[in-house]
Amino acid sequence: MRDQKNYIQLIYRIIIGLILVWFLSTIWPYISNVILMLVFAFLFTTILLSSVDNLERKINNRGVSVLLVVILLLGSIGGFLGSFISQISKQAIDFSKRVDKETLTIEFANLVEKFTSSLPSFLKTGQSSNEDFASKLAEFTQTVLGSLASMAGAVGNFMFLATMIFIFTIILLAEYHVFRKSLVSMIPNKYFEIGLKLIFNIEKSVSSYLKGQFLSASSVAAMSIAGLIILNLAGANLTLIIFIGIIAGLSNLIPLIGPFVGMVPAILISFMNNIGNDASTAHMLFGVLPSPFFIFDIILMFLIVQQIEGNLITPTLVGKSVGLHPMLVMISLLVGGTLLGPLGMLFAVPASGIIKVIFKEIAFVRQNAQYL
Amino acid sequence: MKSAKWENIFKGWNNKESNEILTLKQVPVFRDFQYSDFRELENLMHKREYKTGDYIFKNRAPGEGMYIIVKGNVKITVGTRSKKENVFAKLTDGEFFGELALFDDEPRSANAIATENTQLLGFFTQDLMTLQERNPVLGQKILFNLGGLLGERLRKTNSLLVKEQTKK
Repeated sequence: MRDQKNYIQLIYRIIIGLILVWFLSTIWPYISNVILMLVFAFLFTTILLSSVDNLERKINNRGVSVLLVVILLLGSIGGFLGSFISQISKQAIDFSKRVDKETLTIEFANLVEKFTSSLPSFLKTGQSSNEDFASKLAEFTQTVLGSLASMAGAVGNFMFLATMIFIFTIILLAEYHVFRKSLVSMIPNKYFEIGLKLIFNIEKSVSSYLKGQFLSASSVAAMSIAGLIILNLAGANLTLIIFIGIIAGLSNLIPLIGPFVGMVPAILISFMNNIGNDASTAHMLFGVLPSPFFIFDIILMFLIVQQIEGNLITPTLVGKSVGLHPMLVMISLLVGGTLLGPLGMLFAVPASGIIKVIFKEIAFVRQNAQYL
Repeated sequence: MKSAKWENIFKGWNNKESNEILTLKQVPVFRDFQYSDFRELENLMHKREYKTGDYIFKNRAPGEGMYIIVKGNVKITVGTRSKKENVFAKLTDGEFFGELALFDDEPRSANAIATENTQLLGFFTQDLMTLQERNPVLGQKILFNLGGLLGERLRKTNSLLVKEQTKK
């Protein structure tokens, strides 16, 4: 009789679970953006919370503390971007002084010729006719225009998301303790202490994950800077190398796309520095692969950095920080990536950490149910 | 006329003491604390309400921290209500209990039951750890005061034990 009751309960729970999954999948397209904004705002709040709390203790005012921390953060981001852009534009001005349009065209023609002549014969394609070229050019222009329009839309969408995340972060920072207390006050007295422990452990897991990510980004930045100094980027100044390293470290936080974003400024600067330099145009990587402007040297260096980071640093540092086995970190990254793409990979590890904490507390409650 | 918006932004500079801060001021664990310390504690603590007869915690339940009585009465007992309930202590406004759970992972050693509608402030191991991370000086002050109080209680228990043994 009791077994039968248990079966009915189980079936009832499965049905409720299925209805919930169906309901969530139906409303997900409408709420996904808001949830994404809230998750990002929560992550930024976790990063900035201790600074706001420390300042509040000194000046005894929450609102002003939030304002000062946010202004300082925006100032540092602005300062970093401003000085990076000014360094890049200096480099670009220098580049435009050294090179005029004609030499650039000749340089490109030489480069293409050298590159194709060094390729194995089966990879070489036949010469295309002028007519082919014209139709290809028209097609290319159309594609570029289409991409520009979609890019403008994406930029607008990104700006909207960023503004909303910024506003949510300010509100969360200002009212974090109030929100947390409201959440805690909703827990029934019976489960109060357990619920509080669960919230604390989730917060701890997220903040440890962020610390792990910070360590991982810092190590990528340090390794990239060291790698670029070894390659010397053929003439780039140290400030620019440090900027590129920091960009590589930060962009590395976004799985899949991030690592490639980090390479772009390095390749661009190497190209601007070395245009017109015959030795760099004819440079061969390991004396085998043609690597004009050291492009493949840079790509190889970044690939090595990413391999060290992806296979050694992230599984050990990040896995340790959320208390997950490296194997489990890999599996969650794969599952997150398959389900939600790069964003899924970004949130896979902290989400697994949170799920682990919840299961641990559920087991604890079941074990101590008679005392609650 | 004062604007509510500006009052809200500068609410930290309005040093009006809440009921909770007034209660915390009576607790010996928080003696010699500044107003800003009390505000930080108030941010961390959790206000709970219990009806007459509600268990705050049960004997052998996993314990997470201490409670301070803002308003109401609490009895500390062992045994069940149906079988030989032994009342150890009756506590009232400004008194605290359950502080041992701040130091160890052992389960609770007694029941705590509200004997009338009671308002409590909960202060837990996690809150103490957060405080220790954010404001180590304040965290140490609490630990030092708690240590002093526990030492005082141990001395009292020892002298009672000695008295009992000399009686025999």
